[in-house]
Amino acid sequence: MDAETATAVTVAAAEQEALISGSEAVAVASRLADVDVITAYPIRPYDTMMQYVAKQIANGEQDAEYIVAESEHSQFEIAKHASAVGARALCGSSGVGWCYAFEAIAVTPALRLPLLAMVGNRALDDPGAFGTEHNDALAARDLGWMHVWVDTAQEALDVTLIAYRVAEDRRVFLPCAISTDGAFLTHSQALVKIPPRAWVDEFLPRYDRGDLRFHPDNPITIAPQVNEDWLMEIRRQTDQAMRNARGVLEEAYRDFRRIFNRDYGNPFFEEYYTDDAEIVLVGMGTLSMPVKVVIRKLRAEGQRVGFVRVRWFRPFDYERLGGLLSRFQAVGVVDRDFSMGSPYNSGVLANEIRATLYGQPKQPPVVSFITGLGGREVTIPNVREMFEHTRKAAETGASPRDTLWIGVRA
Amino acid sequence: MATALTFKDFAGQKAMWCPGCGDFAVLRALQEACARLALPPHRIVLVSGIGCSGKITSYFSSYGFHVHHGRTLPIATGIALANRDLAVIAAGGDGDGYGIGLNHLIHAIRRDVDLTYVVMDNGVYGNTKGQTSPTTVAGTITPSSPSGAVEEPVHPLRLALAAGITYLAQGVSSDVPQLVRLIAGGIEHRGFALINVLSPCPTYDRLRTYQWWRARLVNLDEEPSYRPDSRELAVEAVSSRDASIVGLVYRAPGRPFQSRLPRFRPSPLASERLAPDGERARRILDARYAV
Ligand SMILES: Cc1ncc(C[n+]2csc(CCOP(=O)(O)OP(=O)(O)O)c2C)c(N)n1
Repeated sequence: MDAETATAVTVAAAEQEALISGSEAVAVASRLADVDVITAYPIRPYDTMMQYVAKQIANGEQDAEYIVAESEHSQFEIAKHASAVGARALCGSSGVGWCYAFEAIAVTPALRLPLLAMVGNRALDDPGAFGTEHNDALAARDLGWMHVWVDTAQEALDVTLIAYRVAEDRRVFLPCAISTDGAFLTHSQALVKIPPRAWVDEFLPRYDRGDLRFHPDNPITIAPQVNEDWLMEIRRQTDQAMRNARGVLEEAYRDFRRIFNRDYGNPFFEEYYTDDAEIVLVGMGTLSMPVKVVIRKLRAEGQRVGFVRVRWFRPFDYERLGGLLSRFQAVGVVDRDFSMGSPYNSGVLANEIRATLYGQPKQPPVVSFITGLGGREVTIPNVREMFEHTRKAAETGASPRDTLWIGVRA
Repeated sequence: MATALTFKDFAGQKAMWCPGCGDFAVLRALQEACARLALPPHRIVLVSGIGCSGKITSYFSSYGFHVHHGRTLPIATGIALANRDLAVIAAGGDGDGYGIGLNHLIHAIRRDVDLTYVVMDNGVYGNTKGQTSPTTVAGTITPSSPSGAVEEPVHPLRLALAAGITYLAQGVSSDVPQLVRLIAGGIEHRGFALINVLSPCPTYDRLRTYQWWRARLVNLDEEPSYRPDSRELAVEAVSSRDASIVGLVYRAPGRPFQSRLPRFRPSPLASERLAPDGERARRILDARYAV
């Protein structure tokens, strides 16, 4: 038995399992990470996280300042400033609740506050709908928040720990949003391995703002008026922090594998049956479930199809993802969001993928799909249909000039 | 021949609140009040916020606008300014009106916008499944405060009176006839009217039931010494016993925002001809260039 397998055995012995949902997994991670300040304001489907935190605190299992604010605007502001004084902080929301916090969201990256927010992805009202749609979180995509989409409750727990480690690294000091598909992940339970605190302590150092800590002994001013004298330099620094996050993320996943013995492969995206695939679909979040089912069926029929699930959306691993995708005969991109009036009338991810492929010597046709909006189920026939369209593009070698809406009434 | 309106003329979709919800009584009272005032549905706009209470726009037949969480009053203000021929009624929950949207209440009061605001105060966030709301009594156990709420509640009546409200009332869902009077009075009042309704949530609040309220409430309307036109008595009542009074708390002559706007015309903006009169414009231009 070599040293690595030996650790793996102790690992398996010390972990506990619990049947919890994706939201609850984030709450459990906040307990393991000993988060100091947690702010909340209820909205479905994210509220399952805040309620689990409340329960853990009431049960004496978690020690955190827990503030249910009067709105999202307040809860994000409170968490953000707790982060400025050196507290590890967590907040979260869904849909229009996330939008209502937008003023705070927009300024957090420039203030270099490593706040974590859980987004229970939800359609934006009006018209009122609770189901998942990614436009809420994506509205903040350009502002300097790191952004990750998780797929399972286990990944929600693990990524929350990883995100704290990366966000609170001084080379980064950026906020991070963790997107969990409303209902499909926030409300569905699975067996989750809960690591012991000792491993988390080994993995996650104390949050130390050093000379940037807001404290009477360290008189500094946060967010002074700067205008054109300094604003561009501040943006450039935030941009550099996001670039740094790529390497820091790799380090964190490496350490995570060593300590927790769970291997996510490439941190930025997951590959499923890509080795010999001719065509692939690309998407984010719990979409992977129906896509993986269809891939297994199509493979049984002899079709060489695969899937790439983008995990980290910001920072985006355009180099490796571009290299990977350029190998295939066609790429279908599935958006659970929209970007009306955008090139090819597609969703957000599709145009990110097009841009990613532009730098590659070989560019396969890209077919963009919009589906599963407002929580509509992406069904097995829907996925088959998307693979068929992608197959057709591979045969003709041409990208369609427009986006296909799948599973929508005429 | 026109027949008298009844509450049935204001029946919208079938109400889907939980059995026993206090909001049924508010809906019925609003329907009766409009019937009593002979306000036909097409002369009414009901604006509601997000929450169980906010569903009232679907259940009440009139023009309706179901707006974002907490934003009833700015939208109702806009409507009231654009069309003074309409009776504008805003409705929502305590979370909507006294939490996320609270600042609007103070500004609507100080402007004395001519509209009626009915708050269904159940002391919880009903729609999001029973968490602590701004009017939850300290110590109450809810999903967001499993060891008991730590904060003191907002006192809407005190707040409204301090902000200078000109029509203030509190009702309870178990007394529909009184609610009808209070709401009708609010609609008739020229200025901003707040009717706070203690509206039990049998699903998430097991404490403050109809019986619980009945044992505690005093009806100001039946107190011979109480005069709602006395600010002193109102201040005294809301400061010492705001959680146990129902009835008309305070009424003073309003100074509606609409009447104070310098350019506000006598006829509603909605019925004014805003496009230029083509014929007249041509005459002016013809005259100017002498053609
Ligand atoms: C900006 C925003 N944040 C949160 C929500 C979620 N939400 C819906 S209803 C509600 C509160 C409902 O409580 P209340 O206003 O008291 O009305 P009730 O349901 O009790 O009638 C909340 C927080 C939302 N819709 N929009």
